Amino acid sequence: MTTPVYAVENLIIDLYTPTVSVRAVDGASFEIHPGETLAIVGESGSGKTVMTLGPLGLLPEGVAIDMRGTARADGRDLVAMSQSELSAMRGGEFGVIFQDPMSALNPMLKIGPQLAEQARRHAGLSAADARKEAVSLLARTGIPDPADRYDRYPHELSGGMLQRAMIALALAAKPRVLIADEPTTALDATVQAQILALIRQIQKEDGIAVVLITHDIGAVSVLADRVIVLYAGQIAEEGSAIDVLTRPVHPYTKGLLASVPDFRSEISSGTREIPGLPPNQTKVEPGCRFAERCSIAQPSCLARRPTLLPVGDGSVLHRAACPVVLNAQGVAHQ
Amino acid sequence: MKLGRLPWAILSPAITFVLIGIFAPLLMTHDTAQQDYGALLQGPSASHWLGTDYLGRDMWSRIIGGARTSLVAMVFVLAAALVIGVVIGSLAGYIGGITEMALISVIDIMLALPSLVIALALMGVFSGENFTWMSDYWKMILALTLAWWANYARMSRAVVVSELQQPYIEAARVMGASHIWIFVRHILPHVLGLVVVYASADAGALVLAIATLSFLGLGVAPPVPEWGQMLVDGMSYIEEYPSLVIIPGLALTAVVVSFNLLGEAFALQKVPKAIRGSLLRRKKAERAAEDEARRRVEAGA
Repeated sequence: MTTPVYAVENLIIDLYTPTVSVRAVDGASFEIHPGETLAIVGESGSGKTVMTLGPLGLLPEGVAIDMRGTARADGRDLVAMSQSELSAMRGGEFGVIFQDPMSALNPMLKIGPQLAEQARRHAGLSAADARKEAVSLLARTGIPDPADRYDRYPHELSGGMLQRAMIALALAAKPRVLIADEPTTALDATVQAQILALIRQIQKEDGIAVVLITHDIGAVSVLADRVIVLYAGQIAEEGSAIDVLTRPVHPYTKGLLASVPDFRSEISSGTREIPGLPPNQTKVEPGCRFAERCSIAQPSCLARRPTLLPVGDGSVLHRAACPVVLNAQGVAHQ
Repeated sequence: MKLGRLPWAILSPAITFVLIGIFAPLLMTHDTAQQDYGALLQGPSASHWLGTDYLGRDMWSRIIGGARTSLVAMVFVLAAALVIGVVIGSLAGYIGGITEMALISVIDIMLALPSLVIALALMGVFSGENFTWMSDYWKMILALTLAWWANYARMSRAVVVSELQQPYIEAARVMGASHIWIFVRHILPHVLGLVVVYASADAGALVLAIATLSFLGLGVAPPVPEWGQMLVDGMSYIEEYPSLVIIPGLALTAVVVSFNLLGEAFALQKVPKAIRGSLLRRKKAERAAEDEARRRVEAGA
């Protein structure tokens, strides 16, 4: 196996405001390798974005952040780095596609110069070369007539075009990891498919790693090699996309998948929701965070935090944090 | 409203000013108009804490009385200017069209001239025979109000116009909400939020304007104690008895600076700030204790 381009280990992120303390990420570990697409799925507030962008120093201002654990990229630990070191690292190591391209691009500046600025800053190109580079980036992301679009303002482009420009912007500094934070949420269905196809194409061509943060299971099945299911800041299950989506083990993963409507089934069974609500993460409590909503929970679930263990279906990568299921399947652990 | 983490010490002059203004009669040791020709231009003493002026009047009592004069005038002017400004500005913004054009023209003309100049001109007009029924004090308040509302009208209109374009206004209209409901319920809170913040910083400028008018002999007439008046009185003795100028000057400066800081604190209050220092340390300690408790439970299980 190759060395991971981004490896997070035992990451704990606490957010403090004057009124509440939130354990947004509670001991999560994951790594991503070159050329791989890792999808991180979970409900709103499960810590997907905080876990991925937190170590990069991209959390909103106005909250006090306490981060522990390690997040290594390029042989260095991001958690221990200062904001200025992170800033130098970001563009070159990580590119980020945000959810809403309209607000991520400066409305007062033309699109092209915003791209060229990135290219100049990180690749040290001359003004003329940077312009050429920006136009070729626009062309690469499938924007028709890129030389003309270079001089357009963000409001002159449609949402899909803007998201393409946003992707071009993320690629301008030639990152090794592309983080897509719900890249298709603000787009309509046909454009969503195009954007996903574009991300996949770029990944194939450049061999970069992609982290896809999403709650769109469809997008996961299209794009992802590996999937991490996050619940209340803890990883419930991880494995290859095919394993997790077709043979889910953790009750939460099963519930999550059951709540996605399947229009192909002839007799619609409807969707099933998971009873209850996600826990508020203001307290650190022992035991499985999902236990109170879980149909197969046992008293022991409340006592001990489950650890990720191999499911034992032949794939070493497929791991779940549910001793109840794993024991029932007769998987021998200890 | 909370004041965030701004040090309260900075705001103490503004708070002290308001408290002194309210409780002035209790704090004054002498009648502010009482002259004592046996004790002219004295330094601080047990009976006259800040000394006496050229007529033997007690400086401490006059400073306190001046605070009350300024506070009352300021509150009247600010309240009246705020109401007039918000009403005119909101009407302009909400109705639009010709009405808006006409009202904006008036506002622009008012803003083209410094407020103090307008107030001075109005004081000149009010000194005519038709206005003898008004005391100088109320003339000053009226003149300042008429000179002061335009900025509030301008801000109110701007907020109303921008809020009217928000989708939730459209949604309220779709629901069948009346104009009054939309304005009072959805727009007015935004207007007041901005205007009140501005007013809190503006209070200092107003105290200064009141003092300026009195300094020029157009505002509060003697023997009512007033800081601007005291500055004029002290001017003649500035070489021998500088404290006569320094004391009211310091009072004025402290109040103006303090109200500006108050306004700034209100404005910054809207920006969320990360907690730090001892509060953050306490929260982290609580969290660490929770972690430790969990570790113990899980080790025992």
